[in-house]
Amino acid sequence: MIRKRRTMILIKGSSDVPAKLAQEIQDSYEVKTIEESNNGLVMIKAREKAKQSLFYLGEVLITECKVMINGFLGIGMVQGHQPELAHNLAVIDAAYNASLAETDAWTKVLLIEENRINEENQTFMNKVLKTKVNFDTMNV
Amino acid sequence: MGYVAVKGGIQAIEESIKRLKYERLKKGTVLKFQQIEGGMRCLIDQVMSESSLYSETLAAMAIKQAEGSPEEAVFLLRAYRSTLPRKHYSRTVQSEDMSVERRISSSFKEIPGGQILGTANDYTHRLIDFDLNEETEHDALEWLREYALERGVDNDQADLSNLPKTLDYLREEGLIPTFEINSDEPDDVTKESLHFPTSRSQRLQILTRGQTGAVTSLGYAALRSYGALHPTVGELRIGKLPIYVDSPFQDQKEDEDAYYIGEIKVTEVETLFPAEVQKGNGEKEIEFEIGYGICYGQNETKAIAMSILDRCLETANPEYPTHNEEFVLLHIDSVESTGFISHLKLPHYVTFQSKLDSVRKTKK
Repeated sequence: MIRKRRTMILIKGSSDVPAKLAQEIQDSYEVKTIEESNNGLVMIKAREKAKQSLFYLGEVLITECKVMINGFLGIGMVQGHQPELAHNLAVIDAAYNASLAETDAWTKVLLIEENRINEENQTFMNKVLKTKVNFDTMNV
Repeated sequence: MGYVAVKGGIQAIEESIKRLKYERLKKGTVLKFQQIEGGMRCLIDQVMSESSLYSETLAAMAIKQAEGSPEEAVFLLRAYRSTLPRKHYSRTVQSEDMSVERRISSSFKEIPGGQILGTANDYTHRLIDFDLNEETEHDALEWLREYALERGVDNDQADLSNLPKTLDYLREEGLIPTFEINSDEPDDVTKESLHFPTSRSQRLQILTRGQTGAVTSLGYAALRSYGALHPTVGELRIGKLPIYVDSPFQDQKEDEDAYYIGEIKVTEVETLFPAEVQKGNGEKEIEFEIGYGICYGQNETKAIAMSILDRCLETANPEYPTHNEEFVLLHIDSVESTGFISHLKLPHYVTFQSKLDSVRKTKK
């Protein structure tokens, strides 16, 4: 599964999923920590609609961690102060970068979690859509 | 008269700081910052926006420490931010990717996807709800449970993650000027000090992190008499924007290979200003110009005011201070304005003594 999609599932979904997947790797491989989970900033680059130009919207607090497995680097990055999750994300990223056999079975787990996230999101959207206005023309 | 170095006051300062703690705790209440994060959503949004740092938890801690003073909380967050490394720049975010929670237009009744009121104070009576005095955690949980059981709509196919922009169809009709995608790297006011005239990216960055009250007041001044503008809100949307970061170790910056790191809630506004445009043949036409406003969190007044000031600064009419970029941009930052006003409390013994001497001499 591509990184964009899997990182979204791992961050938006239950933190139990990345914890379980990372543990699976840590039980079988040597995971070398390159950079302990630590805080930093990401500057957000945005495009405005009036003139289609770019500007900086502001910064976001993140936690970042780097690990290495079999010579392959993995990076974990997540918004806020979440050292454990950042570490687990880094282990999972390294596992994918190293093409470890375990990752083949993860696609199913991630798809199930993605379905759950989508269902939750649909429920949320359906509640928001209850606030949509139905205009009736008044007979004066 | 020369300068005289003096020292002292250490003990008084220590006791003063103790008094600050006493005032925060004297009623025996210890606020958990989770309570602030849970119940002070709008204050947190304001503080994150003015400090230009998105972290609800840090904002809640700062608000607790500052006893609810937004200016002090913003100062704390800006100071903390300066201790952190900037590790990455995000991929470009754009509001078309927003997962919308509220979207209205005061220009058009029927808009693609509909008018979605979402969460807003606009439709409340603004009467104090004295029942809140009796509210318990049990009540809150019960209400949440019942709300969760309520059915949502099941016959609306609108995709809130992919709502079209209201003004796009005016663009298609040629009623709003269209611009090519401009991918010039933006300037960064946190890296380089400001010189005039400013770039558009500098103006937008300063406006979006401006103090809510200051941005609102100057926007109001531009509406009321200094330019006498009356824009219409083409679209106001609130929702969450996903943030992606490219891998720092891969030269090929493929979209699919980016890291998702989370999402931020923002308010975005596009306002429409009718303007006379001179055409090539000398004839004049009326066209709509757009003012752009955006800020962290849900802060609609600030975002609308920002869009007004954006338009003012693009027009730069020399008749009005609200169109003067030095006047606007140098006075709306929370830390700069409150810091400079606050410095008046610092000892000015020598300079004041000198002024006093001058006054005495003129009286002789």
